[in-house]
Amino acid sequence: MNWKILNKFGPFLALLFVYVFFALLDAKITTFTALETMLLQTVIVGISAIGMTLVIIAGGIDLAAGSIIALGSVVVALLLESFQFSPLVAALGGIGAGALCGIFNGLLITRLRLVPFIVTLGSLLIVRGVAKGLSGSIPINVGHTPLSNLLAALPADQKWQLLPSGAWLMIILAALIAGMLRYTKLGRHIFAVGSNEQTARLCGVAVERVKLFVYTAAGAFSGISGLMLMSYQEQGDPTGAIGLELDVIAAVVIGGGSLNGGEGSILGSIIGAVIMTVIRTGCQLNGWPPWVTQIVTGLVIVLAVLVDQLRHRQTA
Amino acid sequence: MAERELNQSAETTPRLEMHNISKRFGATIALDGVTFSVLPGEVHALVGENGAGKSTLMKILSGAHQPDEGSMRLEGEAYHPRHPLDARLTGVGMIYQELSLALHLTVEENILLGMEPAKWGWVNRQEVRQRASDAIQRFNHPEIQPQTPVRELSVSARQLVEIGRSLAVGCQVLVLDEPTSSLSREDIRRLFEIVRDLKAQGLSIIYISHFLEEVQEIADRVTVLRDGKTIDTRNVSDVSPDEIVRMMVGREMKDLYPRSPRQQGDVLLTVNQLSGPEKPESASFDLHRGEVLGIFGLVGAGRTELLRTIFGLDELKSGEIKIGAFVGPGVPVEHWQAGMGMLSEDRKEEGLALNLSIADNVTLSRLRDFGPARLVMPQQQNNATNQWIERLNIRCREPQQLINELSGGNQQKAALARLLQHDVDILLLDEPTRGIDVAAKALIYQVIDDIASKQPAKAVLMISSYLPELLGVCDRIAVMHRGQLGEALPTASWDEHKLMLEATGQ
Amino acid sequence: MRIFSLLLIAVFFLFAGFSCSKDNGESDKLTISVIPKGTTQEFWKSIHAGAVKASQELDVNILWVGPEKEDDRQQQITLINNQIIGQVDGIVLAPLDDMAIRRPVKSAVDKNIPVVIVDSGLKDSEDVYTSFIATDNFEGGKIAGRQLGEMLEGNGKVILLRYNEGSASTDKREAGFMEAIAEFSGIEVVSDEQYAGVTKATAQQASENLILRFRDEQGTLGFDGIFCPNESSTYGMLQALQRNRLEGQVKFVGFDASPALIEGLEKGEIHGLVVQNPFNMGYLGVKTMVAHLNGQPVEKRIDTGVHFITQENMTQPDMQELIKPDLDKWLKEN
Repeated sequence: MNWKILNKFGPFLALLFVYVFFALLDAKITTFTALETMLLQTVIVGISAIGMTLVIIAGGIDLAAGSIIALGSVVVALLLESFQFSPLVAALGGIGAGALCGIFNGLLITRLRLVPFIVTLGSLLIVRGVAKGLSGSIPINVGHTPLSNLLAALPADQKWQLLPSGAWLMIILAALIAGMLRYTKLGRHIFAVGSNEQTARLCGVAVERVKLFVYTAAGAFSGISGLMLMSYQEQGDPTGAIGLELDVIAAVVIGGGSLNGGEGSILGSIIGAVIMTVIRTGCQLNGWPPWVTQIVTGLVIVLAVLVDQLRHRQTA
Repeated sequence: MAERELNQSAETTPRLEMHNISKRFGATIALDGVTFSVLPGEVHALVGENGAGKSTLMKILSGAHQPDEGSMRLEGEAYHPRHPLDARLTGVGMIYQELSLALHLTVEENILLGMEPAKWGWVNRQEVRQRASDAIQRFNHPEIQPQTPVRELSVSARQLVEIGRSLAVGCQVLVLDEPTSSLSREDIRRLFEIVRDLKAQGLSIIYISHFLEEVQEIADRVTVLRDGKTIDTRNVSDVSPDEIVRMMVGREMKDLYPRSPRQQGDVLLTVNQLSGPEKPESASFDLHRGEVLGIFGLVGAGRTELLRTIFGLDELKSGEIKIGAFVGPGVPVEHWQAGMGMLSEDRKEEGLALNLSIADNVTLSRLRDFGPARLVMPQQQNNATNQWIERLNIRCREPQQLINELSGGNQQKAALARLLQHDVDILLLDEPTRGIDVAAKALIYQVIDDIASKQPAKAVLMISSYLPELLGVCDRIAVMHRGQLGEALPTASWDEHKLMLEATGQ
Repeated sequence: MRIFSLLLIAVFFLFAGFSCSKDNGESDKLTISVIPKGTTQEFWKSIHAGAVKASQELDVNILWVGPEKEDDRQQQITLINNQIIGQVDGIVLAPLDDMAIRRPVKSAVDKNIPVVIVDSGLKDSEDVYTSFIATDNFEGGKIAGRQLGEMLEGNGKVILLRYNEGSASTDKREAGFMEAIAEFSGIEVVSDEQYAGVTKATAQQASENLILRFRDEQGTLGFDGIFCPNESSTYGMLQALQRNRLEGQVKFVGFDASPALIEGLEKGEIHGLVVQNPFNMGYLGVKTMVAHLNGQPVEKRIDTGVHFITQENMTQPDMQELIKPDLDKWLKEN
């Protein structure tokens, strides 16, 4: 019974532990500004982690996430700067570009039956190349646009919104997808495909369509993260988010996702992303150098997997 | 051999003794003072329902679990293995239902895996070959050559490789856990020869099986476990199968195969000239409402392929499938919609999604009507599942429990519950009682009888390798041989002998 | 895994094909590889443009190949080795690491392919490379420190946000800055242990967290001046300041120029930028290499100089040439 609790609230307890630890060292981390800053720093990884969670639950992996984020930021910046589109159209364009990358991954995986790891390893390079090609390999400066406010601290007269819109977007998307996973047929089918593809096929689940969906969704969510990166840097950055897919995967794993498929939760993944931000911010607030951050984050990942293993051994 | 002389002189000294073994997991008592011993040169059958404690006892024997109480002695010396490799090196080899071979490696590599004779990290291939051939030459099996990759071997040959692995380290006690569950008749016969041969060489064999005929045929003594306790140990020659069953279930098993009056109705499924890529070849039959049609055949005859082709899981080369108004080859989802469901022979690989809950597994094929606006509300899934948990007596805590925490029999009931929950008219059952205990079997026979006889009656197409079960449950039986499906004849016109002749093509 | 390796081989041959066709077409000309640390920052574009200018003047071919990330030593080593295999006539290289890149450089020189080092140094290799053409980074850092100190009139608290572990050129700038700032007895360095990391987003996060750390409840900042030792860290800090509505409130000195940083300078959000002359670096790099290949003596150390740009002097023509070089003129034709 206690393992079940650990399973459900494990990531949350870990977050609490890490947070309290840093709060005891430096009370600054408990201020509203600090919380807001940390939440904003989580959004890019967090939104992409929502899509990654779907892919990982379905038993796959998306290594192209970081590249898709960069491409998304470049496409939004290009549409704004070079084509003078409205911010909304530009934003949708960036998300659409991400979704297209996802469809590309999904089609290769389902139609040609290639291994997701290798397909997305390939598209990691392809998409990064496209982002550089589109931007001429230089950052596209956008300056201050309405999109910049997505990931900016709220000015005093807008405090009634409580959180910046980018943070709200992450929370709403997370809630929607978590609900989708729990309360819809598609959600159950995603779990079933990841848990046992053959069983899913036996039960009449359209396995290929489910897979295509999760990769497309992952692409679209990384596209949204790209929009957020653009907003954060006020720049479409073809070299941005390099290696970020590993942070995204780490967030999902810390949140209880299993790379064998069939397990994972949206809330867990978001908490996983928050944990990594808290560790980084906490270390930097205390003036600890980056190597400390890296060791601590690494330890948390290993610990998360270890707890997961112990739980499995307990129930098996 | 000096060893054999020693055995003869110590005829009555057990090779292995397990004394007063107890083991609890949390609140459940898995074993409660079990005592069990095996003599040299003896085949000792261990029987009991699933959950009776057989696997826990064997896990303790193999060092996978440590006992809470009790002691073990091997060859008269205290024996407490810390892990399975330890047990194997001390002389107790386990051959499990799920074979644990590295499919990409060769026979010889598998046999010496983990204990390769090596110097400075370099494997002495000469010695590997020598020791591997020593181990496998006892079988004299044409398929098993030292250099053959294991993935090219049949299931029965793989099993022998696994046995060879234990022999190569000089195990004196072998545990065979349900060794025949996926073997054909011929392979079983060969396995038994080998078991007798090993026994003649003085090895002790612990034989775990659900098939009491096999126990009768191969074992010298039988120990019955029930609810974690030893009920009795008897000489096989002194005890009847009925008696064993009574000891296992603790009650009379009067009628294993119930048969209520069935009313045959209209044709529900017509299969016409059906051919797959290799098997089946041009199979045709009709399946009526209120009928249980059995298909018998040896392993490899193409029975499973027939079922999978009908259901759309395997490619269909030619032929026609008619389900009411639905005609043609189709994919599984169309068949579920047309009212046909399938129970896979392979629970773990295909039948169930093991790390999902019971409720998700039972409702997976039809996630409809569980909430407003096409939503799937977990509570309503639970309600639907609870009904089956009760009706099929599935032993579990709650519908949200993970299905891999259940015993094999209860898993199988849940897999069957999926077809019942979907409320299909045609049930395709592939080996519905494989590897499950007698009580669960009896319940499944009861369910099959119910769905074929209670109005509105449904139709069942059932594959089995177990003749008594086919003869007991089916209305008609057809035999498959090398991809060809014979005519379905009333059960009354068959007996075990005739079925066997037909299946072997004589 | 097999598919992956096939893919790799295919890609390899593709590239091999490319370079072969180039070689065959104009084999009488000298071919010089120019290998930067990265390919996407403005800085490297300027080096590229300078190299192109030199190649046109001297009628040689240049091959512009750079690693993806500015901390991917492995990839740069591979690139150098590929140039050796490709038998180019000379290599102009901006080494990512002052130690790790020494061996491939040595093996190139052993194979009679001379190497000119630009931008960042290689340790203890004076006898291996032909010439070292770079900004005096230590001096650049010192200028930044001195200027920031004077802006603060010798009093206050400053932050140094370092770039990334193991980057020789920024290490020197950071060291130069620390030495110069130490001469102001009224100035205290309150943080010099934080690193921006390779991407702008990580630089921005580190900057935000520094602001968080040094701002008290009343919102007053616990520091008066900032120095960032390269373009990406300066950009990340600028973004973080803007987002916290602190731009212009602290004296902010950065390093290198890009359109976004120049804009910050114009608006008074950045108070000074130490700029190098990367165009000249690329130009002189190729020129020196060609001179060496033609048997002329070359200088072992060439300083391309740094300038300190402020709002006041940025409109001067020579400064304009530095901060807004006409790169397209050289790169578009390519």
